[in-house]
Amino acid sequence: MAPGPSVDDRLERYAELAVQVGANIEAGQTVFIQMIVEHAPFARALTRAAYAAGARYVDVWYRDEHVRKAMIEYGPDSALEHAPDWLKTKYGSMSGNALIASTGDPEPELMADLDGERVGRARMKELSAIAQAQMMARQINWTGLAYPSEGWADKVFGEPDLERLWEAVAFCTRLDEPEPVAAWREHMARLESRAAKLNELAFDALRYRGPGTDFTVGLLAGARWLSAVFHTASGRPYVPNMPTEEIFTTPDCRRAEGTIASSRPLALLGDVVEGLKLTVAGGRIVGVQADHGAELVRSQLASDERAPYFGELALVDGTSRVGQTGLTFFDTLFDENATCHIAYGFGIAESFEGEPGEGMNVSSVHTDFMVGGPELEIDGLTADGHAVPILREDEWQLPE
Amino acid sequence: MAAARVSAAPLDPRIERYAELAVRVGANVQPGQLVEVLAHVEHADVARAVARSAYRAGARYVDVLYRDQHLRRSLIEYAPDDVLSWTPPWLLERAKQMGDENAAIVALTGDAEPELLADLPGERVGKARMLELAEENNRQINEQLNNWTVVGVPNAGWAQQMFGEPDLERLWQAVEFCVRLDEPDPVAAWRAHVGRIGRRAAALNDLELDAIRFLGPGTDLTVGLLQQSRWQGVESKTAKGLPYVANMPTEEVFTTPDSARTEGHVRSTRPLALAGQIVRGLEVRFEAGRIVDVQAEEGADVVRGELKTDARAPFLGEVALVDGTSRIGRTGLTFLETLFDENATCHVAYGSAYTEAVEGGGTVEGVNDSTVHTDFMVGGPDVNVDGVRRDGTVVPLLRNDVWQLEDD
Repeated sequence: MAPGPSVDDRLERYAELAVQVGANIEAGQTVFIQMIVEHAPFARALTRAAYAAGARYVDVWYRDEHVRKAMIEYGPDSALEHAPDWLKTKYGSMSGNALIASTGDPEPELMADLDGERVGRARMKELSAIAQAQMMARQINWTGLAYPSEGWADKVFGEPDLERLWEAVAFCTRLDEPEPVAAWREHMARLESRAAKLNELAFDALRYRGPGTDFTVGLLAGARWLSAVFHTASGRPYVPNMPTEEIFTTPDCRRAEGTIASSRPLALLGDVVEGLKLTVAGGRIVGVQADHGAELVRSQLASDERAPYFGELALVDGTSRVGQTGLTFFDTLFDENATCHIAYGFGIAESFEGEPGEGMNVSSVHTDFMVGGPELEIDGLTADGHAVPILREDEWQLPE
Repeated sequence: MAAARVSAAPLDPRIERYAELAVRVGANVQPGQLVEVLAHVEHADVARAVARSAYRAGARYVDVLYRDQHLRRSLIEYAPDDVLSWTPPWLLERAKQMGDENAAIVALTGDAEPELLADLPGERVGKARMLELAEENNRQINEQLNNWTVVGVPNAGWAQQMFGEPDLERLWQAVEFCVRLDEPDPVAAWRAHVGRIGRRAAALNDLELDAIRFLGPGTDLTVGLLQQSRWQGVESKTAKGLPYVANMPTEEVFTTPDSARTEGHVRSTRPLALAGQIVRGLEVRFEAGRIVDVQAEEGADVVRGELKTDARAPFLGEVALVDGTSRIGRTGLTFLETLFDENATCHVAYGSAYTEAVEGGGTVEGVNDSTVHTDFMVGGPDVNVDGVRRDGTVVPLLRNDVWQLEDD
């Protein structure tokens, strides 16, 4: 048996990207890694990369969905929402440190045969609350990446073609570049310059026109366009999502009119919504139609009073690598970066320099759906009614 | 990348039965108990079965903590010196809670890559232990807070190490035999076993021994006992009286020696898997209780590194007797896993003592206290074992691996 760890070069490069660009860890930080146990090879590669980048200590917490399933199936009610004290302490210790997590469920159907009500309750709410407070206070440089598995590949391709999925993920995350870290720096600079240009132009509204779409939505003077390069409270940049292709803002939830036709399938609540069409009046979604799954959207919109209002506008052009694959990944991390999207539900507090005003929507849901594609035209509307082209035939029209 | 592959295969009934034995007989999980499962990532199949079994036994919560030797390797390779022995505060809090709430503990062993750390500097490997956590674990053992068990999980890496090929099925059969899972009623078989080893312990206690002497090739070792030393075997009890079987398999009767009175030299009779390396041909010399010299054909540095962990590491904490009826011994296999190999034959351990094997507990002078505890094998057909009574008479205990006292 070989004494050393087997090293897969692509995985090592992926881990370096996560550490150097994604979480952008600082020498001397403790690096927290949270993965399901099936992702151990990724956790190991991340650990090596984190120490190589100067981590003081790397703590990996492996979760196990099968153990959670055992709890839901056989455990007492009191176990379902139980968050052990030591995990709360651990979460608290993440402030000022770095966090890397993974998506890519190898067994998406694992809980399918269980009592849905118990599955829904089985969440460590106290941990979520700690994590949300830390996110709001920007105390953690963190990133989330997908780790390919056969189960996920099966969902995307209808067969467990792991290598094909890896190639798609590598392409989307620029791992196929000779210097992925340099490629990301260039990519991030381009996205940041797009956001800066839109902020400078300070449009009053966006207008979307295409097949089945004629939609105008107001923008807020206080809401900036952002790229997905975030900064901690102490000013350290990090990229919470990899891949990322979007620039986004929070719209004025009071001003939206028209019709929107979604351009890609939407994975929602364990099902897929196809051919979604929305009618909007006075900021509110007043009509929902779809070839499949309209009920899912309607039930989500009914979850609270402000769910049927808009919380995010994101612009993505045809240079998006996710879009170029032509795949539906059934993972929001990827799918929302394929093309332009809009989200109903809560707005994004990071968009605002100071306190978000009344224009930012507040809700318990946030669902992104895709609207972009070569036939969609997006214009910026100035306060005096001028239209400035932003996207035509999937090409970015503003200088960058 | 295949190293940590977790099988998504359908449930193996053998795994479910094994988990059931660990939960019902080993840890003896009680309704309403908090249950801790300690596993390596390669043990996920069994850890999951233990979680299912524990919830079915009425556990109020099952907290599975996965460890990963590859992460330990990275720590040893790259981490700054001052964190090598550091215990993250959340892990210490977790351990304390397990102690304070009298959790049941199921620990899984069976190293998937026993030589993973072999090319690393032995001294750093030896130092890379969470010291505060080890102290807390010692407290829990000494205060007998937990009903706990350790079971071995067959895996391809372990089989490869033992057989020179990844013959997982052969390893599974050996493990099933050793833990009596091959019996039609494993629980009844364990009850009978508890009785027989218990009678050996009673017979040894009746002899009121002052010392144990091992005599064989390369070995002439006298291990002094305390007046308060009590022999024990198979079944343990928590401070609150809950019975459990701490090791599965277990074949030994053991006690806590007088750490000040070990004299002579001993040659280990089997390889020892320690901190990711294999120690072969270990020879140790004692003076006034203390290990003063360590030699080995391979891996001496790991032992030397571990002995430097704290001031009391180089003193004995356990002496244990095993005869040739041992199921582990009868397999003729070296498992390269202490849980099994220490039950193949007689062994001694340097480091911490089990205070439950001492009348009066840890306050008795001569009971060793350390953050390490490493068993190494010293018995075999060529090693005669005698008991020396307080009046100086010598009682043969083992000859040619055959137990010499009454145990029926």
